Amino acid sequence: MNIFTSKIYLDNIEVIAIIGIIIGVLVFASTLFYVWGLLKPTADLKELKTRTNSWWAMAALIIITTLVHPALSFIAFGLLSFVALRELASISKNVRDEDRRVIIWCYLAIPIQYFIAYKGWFNIFVIFIPVFMFVWIPFMLVIRGTTAEIGRAMSVLPTQLMLTVFSLSHLAYLLSLPNLEGFHAGGRGLLLFVVFLTEINDVFQFIWGKILGKNKILPKISPNKTWEGFIGGILSTTILAYFLRFLTPFTGIEALIIGFCIANAGFVGDIIISAVKRDIGIKDTGLLIPGHGGILDRIDSLSLSAPTFFYIVYNLYYAG
Amino acid sequence: MRGLFLGILYGIGIRSFLKVIVGVKYLNREALKKEKQFVIVSNHNSHIDTLAIMGALPFGQVQNVHPIAAGDYFGSSKIKAGITQLFTNAILIRRSKNTDAPNPIELMSAAVTRGESLILFPEGSRGTPGKMQEFKKGIGILLQMHPELFFIPIYMRGMGKVLPKGERLLVPFDTYVHFGNPRKCKATEVETIVKEIEEAILQLN
Repeated sequence: MNIFTSKIYLDNIEVIAIIGIIIGVLVFASTLFYVWGLLKPTADLKELKTRTNSWWAMAALIIITTLVHPALSFIAFGLLSFVALRELASISKNVRDEDRRVIIWCYLAIPIQYFIAYKGWFNIFVIFIPVFMFVWIPFMLVIRGTTAEIGRAMSVLPTQLMLTVFSLSHLAYLLSLPNLEGFHAGGRGLLLFVVFLTEINDVFQFIWGKILGKNKILPKISPNKTWEGFIGGILSTTILAYFLRFLTPFTGIEALIIGFCIANAGFVGDIIISAVKRDIGIKDTGLLIPGHGGILDRIDSLSLSAPTFFYIVYNLYYAG
Repeated sequence: MRGLFLGILYGIGIRSFLKVIVGVKYLNREALKKEKQFVIVSNHNSHIDTLAIMGALPFGQVQNVHPIAAGDYFGSSKIKAGITQLFTNAILIRRSKNTDAPNPIELMSAAVTRGESLILFPEGSRGTPGKMQEFKKGIGILLQMHPELFFIPIYMRGMGKVLPKGERLLVPFDTYVHFGNPRKCKATEVETIVKEIEEAILQLN
């Protein structure tokens, strides 16, 4: 807990700038929705308000942990993965009662994966879950001895690990990337870039959908999502990425392409989790008690945009 | 001293463990703050149940609330009984009539007369998760004797997955503890009181 290490990061004018922008945007959003709610009490702003509140929490988490001690960020992201995995395992109907002891192995993979990320062991980082855990979990299921519907459990549990642990751990790994010459913002800048763009992409899609939305894009999975919102969101995010490229080592063209990829990946992550939830019937039957917004809704877009972004950056600038 | 010890143990230690690690979510926890004395009645699937309720209590209340526990289980050895007494303030009762232990209803009634609160699982034992067993009559007799006593219904979901009967390994899962508002029984007969409470609990499902 060395408070003086924060000096290093405070020297980063880019990081300070983006922290300022994030806080500014959040203050603006909170005020906007508050005033909007006062002026038009009938407007349904619950979704927007809960989202803003969770961004406050996420922003606070990222800012505080990166300023106090880098290792804290890894613990914080690990905890986020844990809560998300727990939520997914709890609502999944494909997790059998006999699997509860095997789920402990899934939970144990979290500290290991984040420790590997902290150490920056890239070659182990990329195989630990997609290769090792994909063998280990079925093995543990098999030695428990119940074969009925074991195939489902074998595929569902590792997939849940991918969606909640493997994906999010890439955010943490950004902080372990080595320094590049002439690029000051470093992993912190990249982290803020991808998180900020992913979250703002959700907002852009929502707002464009509200303003122009007519043609539904996937009515069976997300009835509120429209082509207009989707395209408007992607264009806005791509353009914004261009202006935020001071956080990254990207050239203008690269920033545009990467922003486009983040926006698309975010959308895909969002609908994957939506489809999983719809399968369980959460959105239809109110299986969970009303008023409870899960953490999965908050990280769904990040779970795909984080690895997408990571591998593009890694292969462009850090590999070899 | 003891109040402080239990208050810190449950209000900080157990509560953060339950919320962060196990994944317990409290709904309408304010219901516990509305009355000074009450009897909490809840469905029962796991040993976690008692901890989850104790962990939800307001700081100063913890010492004043006694879970009613089975003497034949939690008092089966001196060590078990000692641990139960030290950490939970539990009142141990007998479950069969063949022993010369004091009458459970009298023990509970005496605690209520002293102004203390109780936690009761009228199902008697931890049943299969998701299914409620028929309620025992004790709660009906108690509330018939003390019609002025508030009861707080609680419905818990998912505890049987976290730590089922007969399992020793605790596995974190999202669980819900839904508190109903404190109320007095309208019914006056033992059976109808039991029924009223059962319905109040099921309504929270």
